[in-house]
Amino acid sequence: MPAPPIYLDHAATTPVRPEVLEAMLPYFDAKFGNASSAHRWGREARAATDAARERIAACLGAQPDEICLTSGGTEADNLAVLGGWRVQQGNGRPGIVSTPIEHKAVLEAVHQAAREGGDERLLAIDPTGLVNLDAARAHIRQDVALVSVMWVNNETGVIQPVAELAEMAKAAGAIFHTDAVQAFGKLDVDVRSLPCDFLSVSGHKFGAPKSIGAVYVRRGTALAPLFFGGSQDRGRRPGTENTPMAVALATAMELALSERDVEVARLRSLRDRLEAGLRAAQPDLVVHGHVAPRVPHILHCSVPGTDSESLLMSLDLKGVAASSGSACQSGSVTPSHVLTAMGLPADVGASAVRFSVGKLTAAEQIDRVIALFPDVVRGARAMAGKF
Amino acid sequence: MSGGVDSSVAAALLVRQGYDVVGVTMKLFEDGAALPDRPCCSLDATSDARRVAEQLGIPHYVLNMVDHFGRDVIADFVAEYARGRTPIPCVRCNTFTKFSDLVAKADGIGAAFVATGHYARALGGELHRGADDNKDQTYFLWGIRRDVVKRLLLPVGEMTKDETRALARELRLPRVADKPESQEICFVPDGDYVQILRRELGEEAPSLSRGNIVTANGDVVGEHDGFARYTIGQRRGLPGGSADPLYVVALRPETREVVVGPRDALLGSQLSASEVNWLVDTPPRVGDTVQVRVRHRAPLANAKVEAVTARAVRVAFETPVSAISPGQSAVLYDGPRVLGGGFID
Repeated sequence: MPAPPIYLDHAATTPVRPEVLEAMLPYFDAKFGNASSAHRWGREARAATDAARERIAACLGAQPDEICLTSGGTEADNLAVLGGWRVQQGNGRPGIVSTPIEHKAVLEAVHQAAREGGDERLLAIDPTGLVNLDAARAHIRQDVALVSVMWVNNETGVIQPVAELAEMAKAAGAIFHTDAVQAFGKLDVDVRSLPCDFLSVSGHKFGAPKSIGAVYVRRGTALAPLFFGGSQDRGRRPGTENTPMAVALATAMELALSERDVEVARLRSLRDRLEAGLRAAQPDLVVHGHVAPRVPHILHCSVPGTDSESLLMSLDLKGVAASSGSACQSGSVTPSHVLTAMGLPADVGASAVRFSVGKLTAAEQIDRVIALFPDVVRGARAMAGKF
Repeated sequence: MSGGVDSSVAAALLVRQGYDVVGVTMKLFEDGAALPDRPCCSLDATSDARRVAEQLGIPHYVLNMVDHFGRDVIADFVAEYARGRTPIPCVRCNTFTKFSDLVAKADGIGAAFVATGHYARALGGELHRGADDNKDQTYFLWGIRRDVVKRLLLPVGEMTKDETRALARELRLPRVADKPESQEICFVPDGDYVQILRRELGEEAPSLSRGNIVTANGDVVGEHDGFARYTIGQRRGLPGGSADPLYVVALRPETREVVVGPRDALLGSQLSASEVNWLVDTPPRVGDTVQVRVRHRAPLANAKVEAVTARAVRVAFETPVSAISPGQSAVLYDGPRVLGGGFID
């Protein structure tokens, strides 16, 4: 009987937590009302949505009216970047500053803003995986409308100096957005200590279902909507409020916060155990971002002489789920734009694998992965050998 | 798994026979807007392959082979046309991509066998023609290494195309059962290969520039817009008016001439081939009679071996054969057995 498969891809998505599922279920069923309706069903849904919004705000150190609920991280990022840019457009600040290692949801929104007349400036990335602060100082000037830099890179797990960058943006009079999708639940994400204007989160990274996210919008910062319709969410996000998902996000955020310190320590020890074990098994392993501060749950590494596609296929066939850079629509693996931006040689970028530990991970699984890794690498080398 | 009926049925049969099957689809080129819905290699075809794999309950992977396919197949395709030859990219794909690069991937996951949906049979370490004479694909498969032939599983090679389609319905694979055949070259949109040549060689390339259409004795009978637009045996695009229809009988890249002549001038009584791959323990000897195919679906022609080495062969036909085109394959058979093949000089 084969051993049960091992899920080491929590940075891609996580299972919905039973507490979250339980909390949201009544709103599909008995409490199914439309929060905008002026009757008892509506009031019931409105109360739950309002409460959820307050709970979400509290988890971020924000006010309820500063929380805009979205269909997930991609919409949150698009709303912040494009919604922020479109308000600023034509005010004599053409500059949009971001980085080449952003998630595609930010990067493509920045490209779109550039097509709408923005002057796109992507900051240099150091080989450590950190944004180069000298480049940031040079580019974040008085002619910049918006700065968007991710809090945690989704491939390397490197924690970016968002506090410094937010201060620079503030000093230049630019609005600052951070994609905190991989940060929430792992770091202290609090808008009272980070002078950002916008911040986005995505529920399915910490136990809520897919297709629920939020963007924090600081009071006084204007935001142009992406959609047009009713006046829900102060007109920032028209469309019938998704009460069950709002409840789910609130519940998952509270759970993540209440468990954070213990869970972070547990995940760090699992990740470090994996990293040490793989290094010992494969002395030429290249670990990305390990000289910079990293989130506790991600290990991103390359195995010279292999390619990501072969490694991932071998791992999967042995029951281990990991991932690499971005997957194209057809499912084939493409080289990581993050590692390319870090200036790593193409063969290192093309042989990267990301392991991310989480709720489902146990130490015994880590030991099994370490034990089968030499076989995986042998197989992947054989695949690459003929190339 | 191309997403077509043959590889889908092949996978389904292997699953039914109890093999532990891993499905893969090769991504061979970037799907541009120019190739919205090709029968193979496109996003739609990849999705079909994935759906079949999901239905069969087997893992499925898309393998990115764009770089190697571009180098080993597309670049060669372009270079052959530029040299006045008629390339056969499916042979290069089978030789270098499918049965070499892909086999390396199979080695890496410890796969004992490699299976495809080809109409051919692998018997006792030899390659034999498929049971369906109309569909036989051995013309494209002669370049496979012999150690790979020993590991081949070709489940549909025992069947006719109609039987394959019927089995697809029986196996509840309606998505692929009635798909049209993929006849064209997968990376050439709308059969317009000149578009690829223009892109890769530039508009000013000699092979795409004006030249003379001449007869065998050197009389100029017209002009053409590039010899790469012509292949041997072609009638289209030639001047009319003569009593007998004219055919392209040769291309002369060095003078950019397209040579035309009557149908009889297409007949050739011998050919030599290089880059030969032998698929049997004992390759034919000088004086042996073999059957030769010079084009996909062309009839088998009896021929006598005149010269043979490990990498080359020359044969003389009993009866002259039409339109022997440099760059195409010559495949030698002994009955159903594929002896080997090579590229026509």
